[in-house]
Amino acid sequence: MPLAPVNEDITFDQLVLDPYPLYHRMRRETPVVRVPSVQRTFLVKFNDTRMVKDDPELFSSDDPRTPMQPAFRAHTLMRKDGAEHLRERKAMMPALTPKAIQCEWAGLYEKFAGEYLDRLPKDGPADLFTDLCGPIAARILAHILGIPEATDEQMIRWSQNLIDGAGNFAWRPGPFEVTDRANEEMDALFDKAVERVRATPDASAMSVMVNADDPIPRSQIYANIKIAIGGGINEPRDALATLIYGLLTNPDQLAAVKAGDDWGKAFEESVRWVAPIQASSRLVTRDTQIGGYDIPKGDTVMTIQASANRDEDVFGPDSEDFVVYRDKNPHQAFGNGPHHCAGSHTARRTVGKIMGPMLFERFPKMRLPDPDAVMWRGFGFRGPINMPVIMG
Amino acid sequence: MVKVIYIAADGTQTEVEGAEGASVMQTAVAHDVDGIVGECGGSMMCATCHCYVDDEWIAKTGERGHDEDEMLEGAASEVTANSRLSCQIRLSASLDGLVVHLPEEQF
Repeated sequence: MPLAPVNEDITFDQLVLDPYPLYHRMRRETPVVRVPSVQRTFLVKFNDTRMVKDDPELFSSDDPRTPMQPAFRAHTLMRKDGAEHLRERKAMMPALTPKAIQCEWAGLYEKFAGEYLDRLPKDGPADLFTDLCGPIAARILAHILGIPEATDEQMIRWSQNLIDGAGNFAWRPGPFEVTDRANEEMDALFDKAVERVRATPDASAMSVMVNADDPIPRSQIYANIKIAIGGGINEPRDALATLIYGLLTNPDQLAAVKAGDDWGKAFEESVRWVAPIQASSRLVTRDTQIGGYDIPKGDTVMTIQASANRDEDVFGPDSEDFVVYRDKNPHQAFGNGPHHCAGSHTARRTVGKIMGPMLFERFPKMRLPDPDAVMWRGFGFRGPINMPVIMG
Repeated sequence: MVKVIYIAADGTQTEVEGAEGASVMQTAVAHDVDGIVGECGGSMMCATCHCYVDDEWIAKTGERGHDEDEMLEGAASEVTANSRLSCQIRLSASLDGLVVHLPEEQF
């Protein structure tokens, strides 16, 4: 079979600004395509992305050359497979199950949500991206992880530093100098948190890992917490911002969601429409074929779940639109296979079922006067970077 | 083919045919049965394919494994003696006509 076609035209900047028209065209013309500017083979169709993630032996997450290593100063579970990945993941899962969210975290989130909503102006302009979406995501995460001492500002900064470092494929020194400083700060704070949860165990991720019968090494406990910081703020932040945008620009759907209490559905559609994590890499472990093309061992394929989530063959002719009331919504925003998002239950319950209804109930007259003023950015991670609303 | 009957929390019955060797989760997902999500594709990471095996069938579907037990502990809906992750039940001729009940919610 031939090798996949090459698209020399696409630049990284284009992908960051607005990849959706490019993906739309790729789905029609080149569903498997090599993109030299990213050094990856893109897979943009629903079945291909799903198949890759469901087959971790052929498509491995294990990547010893990832910039995640220096950024996190660890080989993290995100970049491991098999038993090692499973052990590290399971160590943290008790803090993130639906039951833990219901029993431990939902009430706390509701309390924080109330406090953060209280801080917003009653009327007039506000930027919900900076004033609500980021800070509330940071606050609940600090508690779930067992590091409530960390401020919102620290959590948000560390998260961005880690993401920038992990995405530093150009291997520039700057981002790693920044993550070095962030790692020092985090490690010092984690050391104190370990002492505290040893003395007073609780339901937090730090506590369940530290106090386990057969704990994973301290280095991996810290790596897990850092992965959760890197992956647990931007995603709920962006999901919430997208939910706000989707509903404010579709008032009929907002009215229906309120009337039917369909906040779960609205959340699912938000993360389908603009998946906070848009793409993931997998290393090909032996020669294979996808969609009629040879994919050689050693190649890195990129599952573009952003595009899979808009695959016309699955979501129909309105796949590019925000439509809460779809017949079926089997989106891949949380991925699938062994690396399925460990925070999915947290996001669904907090952002979807708590913050959505609280925000729109508290500010029934909130509006987005100029949807075009909302700027969207990102290739690997994507969402609005501002949300200039009028509160009432 | 093996017949499986899924009974949703509201009583809706869906009867489908699955291939031998396929899991009860895969069979549900392939036929768009509401109430089974199976988001992680059967790698026991998401606990969104929780089902209750009907009393009549509990002896034939076998025991749940240790890892399955751990995942179920965190499931969204109540866990009973009949609770299973449907990705861990493989269809075989002896399960023809299997009845499973679905929980109120999976996440």
